[in-house]
Amino acid sequence: MIGITYYRHKCIGCRACAEHAPQRWRMSKKDGKAVLLEGVQKGKVFNAEVHPGELEPNEAAAQNCPEKCIIIRRH
Amino acid sequence: MKVRTARNQVEILAPAGSMESLMAALQAGADAVYFGVEHLNMRSRSSNRFVMDDLPGIIENCRAHNAKAYLTLNAVLYDQDLNLMRNICDQAKAAGVDAIIASDQAAMGYCHRIGMPVHISTQVNVSNIESVRFYSMFSEVMVLARELSLKQVEEIATQIEKQEIKGPSGNLVRLEVFAHGALCMAISGKCYLSLHSHNASANRGACFQNCRRKYHVKDAENGDEWMIEDEYIMSPKDLCTIDFLDKVLDSGVKVLKIEGRGRAPDYVHTVTRCYREAVEACFDGTYSQEKVAAWKEQLAKVYNRGFWDGYYLGRKLGEWTKDPNSQATQKKVYIGKGVRYFDRIGVAEFKMESYELKPGDEILITGKKTGVLESVVQELRVDGKPADSAKRGDSITIPLGRKIHSSDKLYKLVTTAE
Repeated sequence: MIGITYYRHKCIGCRACAEHAPQRWRMSKKDGKAVLLEGVQKGKVFNAEVHPGELEPNEAAAQNCPEKCIIIRRH
Repeated sequence: MKVRTARNQVEILAPAGSMESLMAALQAGADAVYFGVEHLNMRSRSSNRFVMDDLPGIIENCRAHNAKAYLTLNAVLYDQDLNLMRNICDQAKAAGVDAIIASDQAAMGYCHRIGMPVHISTQVNVSNIESVRFYSMFSEVMVLARELSLKQVEEIATQIEKQEIKGPSGNLVRLEVFAHGALCMAISGKCYLSLHSHNASANRGACFQNCRRKYHVKDAENGDEWMIEDEYIMSPKDLCTIDFLDKVLDSGVKVLKIEGRGRAPDYVHTVTRCYREAVEACFDGTYSQEKVAAWKEQLAKVYNRGFWDGYYLGRKLGEWTKDPNSQATQKKVYIGKGVRYFDRIGVAEFKMESYELKPGDEILITGKKTGVLESVVQELRVDGKPADSAKRGDSITIPLGRKIHSSDKLYKLVTTAE
């Protein structure tokens, strides 16, 4: 499994993650920021454990995030 | 100076990127402040960006100082942002914000629908009288493109009066220009560099400021390398109009914007105060070269990349900075934090956290409620006893004319040569 950590308060809604990994990221119509699908909120941070098959697009999402608010961890 | 405008028609508009800067701007005599909330503005990556819940507090402070509050909502907007945009506008209206500074037509249109006054952002690049007429359907204050010369600005101002171009409220359109602060190498800030290199769009307020770095420019086809000398070819010096402010006001401009939502409170305080004094001087007839020299000395003390007069005097492009770092003649060193203030005896207590402090040192205190306070240490006590110096870990008390608060930061001002 891989872990995705998302610091949502830093998001500026650039859409890069939703373009690179649309199966894991959507843009909220409520506040224009990215939403980590199946993410569990803990304080300001959202976490999700996902299948390794999703590594590549999510790494691209993390790399292209201008705010560096997406962190990918390999277990 | 020609009498074209009355003093009470001129507004000094100062930046408020944080609560500290907001207080600093208000204390320095700003007629109005501008600030962003959430991420749909040109300083979205600012670490201490305001959120919606801060709105009532901001407005309360502005009202207490009789200043107007303008909210920037000038990022490029996508469909996903429209709800947040509408939400910000609604809440701004409810909180009593005086106007929204917008660049996207979606924001202009929505504000118009709900009866929220709009100011046209410089991002819109308004450069001619027909553009002014077009946007007057939505707005009565327009920030002109920074690339115009004063002659062009004056012509637009003249035509607004002549053709009686009025905004939605029936008043003549007022013109705003940038008076002081950082300039961008791209036309009206529409730059693609940061997006290209870091996927961080300047037009969403996430500029990485690539232009402030040093580059080699090489023609790959013939191998020619540009002769650039020792310059940062994409990094313009900072705009400063204080030495021809009388001419700026003569052109018919009504609002003078100071750039710097990313700047420290002491910067905001110094720049706002200088321009405030300069405007007063223009109107009471005491504006002089001696005063200009004194203001410039003050302005040079805070963050700057060297000064030039922008495009206003028709000068050609090419005033590039020689140094990527600030050329400020003074810098502040963090030395401790506020503990309490003894009202009766007018003494402030601080906890020293680094560096040292001596009587005679110049100090600067900043805080959310305090704003900016500059002073000189007259008398220093460590743990209640008179002392010649204080070091890290000491609990110090110093006489201070104004109240400080427990979360305030204490800095020592040193010249940059030190």
